[in-house]
Amino acid sequence: MSDRLYRMARPEDLRVAHLDSFMAVYHRSSGITHLITAPAPEILATLGEAGMTFRALRDTLGSEYELGDLDDAALAARLDELVAAGLVSII
Amino acid sequence: MSDDIQDDPPKGATSRRALMLGAVGASAIVSIRPALAQTAASVVTCEIPVPDPGRAGTYIAADGSLVPPGTAGAFAPAGKAFKGEDVKVALGGGQLPGTSYEQSRAYTNYIRRLQSGTSGFTCFASLQMPRG
Repeated sequence: MSDRLYRMARPEDLRVAHLDSFMAVYHRSSGITHLITAPAPEILATLGEAGMTFRALRDTLGSEYELGDLDDAALAARLDELVAAGLVSII
Repeated sequence: MSDDIQDDPPKGATSRRALMLGAVGASAIVSIRPALAQTAASVVTCEIPVPDPGRAGTYIAADGSLVPPGTAGAFAPAGKAFKGEDVKVALGGGQLPGTSYEQSRAYTNYIRRLQSGTSGFTCFASLQMPRG
């Protein structure tokens, strides 16, 4: 897992609307709308289009946010969800 | 608008925002899939009867409307339901199998006029769904 690069879906594939504590993300290529909540939007923003490794993501999140529960397994679970939804791709 | 994701959380802030990753078994995503999208996989095998079994026996006029049996210029009901794949071809300008040119056009017009609640509508709607 450590060497794989995780990258946010291309912005042109997404249509985003902020709904108070949620963010609605319409994924054009699947026609599915995802309601995402913290930490998913933060993970997407951190990964960006350039993408980063799991380790880099964990370190960047840790430096930018006060993580109350930094746990590799939990972060991996969040990342897996985003990959399953098509909002993050592995390259 | 789509670049909102990039801009949203403040980065490198002097006072770092609190963020919880949540438990392993928790979920931060709820996905909303249109009901019609679930039928997309069966587009090839779904069927559209012409006309709806509830209107069995009625004829189909050239414009696709249903008219009393024997109406001049109208066509008798199709013997069997058409497969989604065949309808897709017909909607794209092709011809339904086992039909004459005019007959296919009338049937295709009928299918275009299908409304929710009519047999075959879900199949027709699935054919209209853009595929990713």
